[in-house]
Amino acid sequence: MTPPPATAAVDMMRPDTIPQDSQINRDVMSVTKGVSWQWGLMLGMALIGVAQAVFTLGYQTYVGLGVAGYQAPVFWGVYIINFVFWIGIGHAGTLISAILFLFRAKWRNAINRGAEAMTVFAVLTAALFPLIHIGRLWKFYFLIPYPNQRALWVNFKSPLLWDVFAINTYMLISIIFFFVGLIPDIAIARDRATGVKKFVYTILAGGWQGTGRQWKAHNRTVLHLAGLATPLVLSVHSVVSWDFAMSIVPGWHATIFAPYFVAGAIFGGFAMVIVVMIPVRRIFRLEAYITDYHFENMSRFILFTSLICGYAYGAEYFIAWYSGVEFEQTSFWLRVFGPYWLSTWFMISFNVIFPQLLWIKKLRTHVPFLFVLCVGINIGMWFERYVIIITSLSREYVPAAWGLYIPSVAELSILVGSFCWFSMFFLLFLKFLPIIAIAEMKELLIHDKAHAAAGHTQEAH
Amino acid sequence: MPTLVSVFDLPDDTALAIRKLKGRGFDEIESYAPAPFEQIDEAMDERPSKVRAFTLVGGLTGVFTGFLMQIWMSWEWPIKIAGKNFASIPPYVIIGFELTILFGGILTFLGLMLVGRLYPRPLDKAYSPRFSAEEFGVAVTVGERDVAEVDALLRSLSAKEVTLLDD
Repeated sequence: MTPPPATAAVDMMRPDTIPQDSQINRDVMSVTKGVSWQWGLMLGMALIGVAQAVFTLGYQTYVGLGVAGYQAPVFWGVYIINFVFWIGIGHAGTLISAILFLFRAKWRNAINRGAEAMTVFAVLTAALFPLIHIGRLWKFYFLIPYPNQRALWVNFKSPLLWDVFAINTYMLISIIFFFVGLIPDIAIARDRATGVKKFVYTILAGGWQGTGRQWKAHNRTVLHLAGLATPLVLSVHSVVSWDFAMSIVPGWHATIFAPYFVAGAIFGGFAMVIVVMIPVRRIFRLEAYITDYHFENMSRFILFTSLICGYAYGAEYFIAWYSGVEFEQTSFWLRVFGPYWLSTWFMISFNVIFPQLLWIKKLRTHVPFLFVLCVGINIGMWFERYVIIITSLSREYVPAAWGLYIPSVAELSILVGSFCWFSMFFLLFLKFLPIIAIAEMKELLIHDKAHAAAGHTQEAH
Repeated sequence: MPTLVSVFDLPDDTALAIRKLKGRGFDEIESYAPAPFEQIDEAMDERPSKVRAFTLVGGLTGVFTGFLMQIWMSWEWPIKIAGKNFASIPPYVIIGFELTILFGGILTFLGLMLVGRLYPRPLDKAYSPRFSAEEFGVAVTVGERDVAEVDALLRSLSAKEVTLLDD
């Protein structure tokens, strides 16, 4: 289907009437006003989830990493799976805010703020896992090259160190990008707030008034940040994939890993955007801005990246067989029919088979269906990392060294905690900052208004 | 000197007003817009924003920092790893690249704050919350004797309102 023209997209996004004092300001800012008991309950549950994970982490730090299910030969478990999973979730936000910006896809405006916020929160979640995983938390600074008495530097040839730089860069750039986009909207909030809120917004908005000079600098900044973030986002998951691909473990040592991981990240990330945006849209009545058209476009992205994932799975199996390397062949045979067969079939069915239903147009805009499908995709993507990491490590070269890994209670507690940590940030975000990029939406609305006025004058003449 | 603040509905009218005022020789003009519109920004100042220089400087600083840091640190405590050079360029490209992006991004943000004068400060007298709704504003500082003329000019250019600020 050819994309509808930009004006049609605007029509779909526009509320029925735009009175003179900006409807969109009121609609979007109303999300931040007032606190319902449901919101309080959800935040409370998230905080409890975070608290129990902090307790587990304290316990693990005290008694040692043995409480995680790590045992020979598997020493990368749920923590690393979570790390890859959460980094992947962040990718959709950067794709929407940077890559679709460069491609001038106007439909991104309604969803980019929420997706960018998710990127920031997902990266903040992911960045914790390497620290949790190293066990000796207090030595995390060994990862940073700093002058020390031992005159010893980090190993710049190690992909694990590349990861340190990639993740920290990604985190900082995502936060900057998110904040730059927010500045004009914080100014809107500032102009309408009172008391302490006004004070905080005034500091954050930094004297934004929308002058010609400010908009020009802002446009230029967004363009450059998008230009920088586009190769960055592709590099981040590539570097994450090299954590695996640079080793010689059967099932990991593959050249396809970088594009395979990037496509998987975008796939899982879009699914998470849909899972989060469906309830947000419904609860805060944002149907006028986040329309079925957006969900359909995201569904297409999901379908497309699902096909790439399916191709990557197929290519992996084919190359394992075609290579004639016994270890590779065994590793992949055991993925599907070995002790972890269930996770492999979860991965294949949730990530490749079920998303094919999106070929049907009706289902692409069927909100309850999308919600269920995308929850499934998130489960599938988590299991994809489980399959890659666990099956490969537990079935390496020598059968005598094979082992079985079962996630421990401590790991599951921190897994649950990571979802709560992410939800906590998102719930707070909903109440303090606008969920829709108001200024960017206004650009479309006013453009449309100008067109209507021009058409009117022409008819009158 | 008195300042005239005019309010417009559409970006094209706003840009036209700015150009006309500039044509008449009034240089102390400020525009206020709820969303980015190129025609207004161009009318205010045709030169590209200086932010781009910040990105360039940041990116170059990053790439040099990245490579020099890695090469120097490898030589400072040389350890042979897997028979590779002490300072082996191909794997260093990755951190060099990441630091290019990091420094480029941070300096771009700094550029936005400096060029756009984004630091906590009192807002202009001419600014009003309606410019963060859906209306556009043009503030122009004129001499006492030009007030009437400019007022009439702005109204003829489809300004909805023109108010006089004295200071």
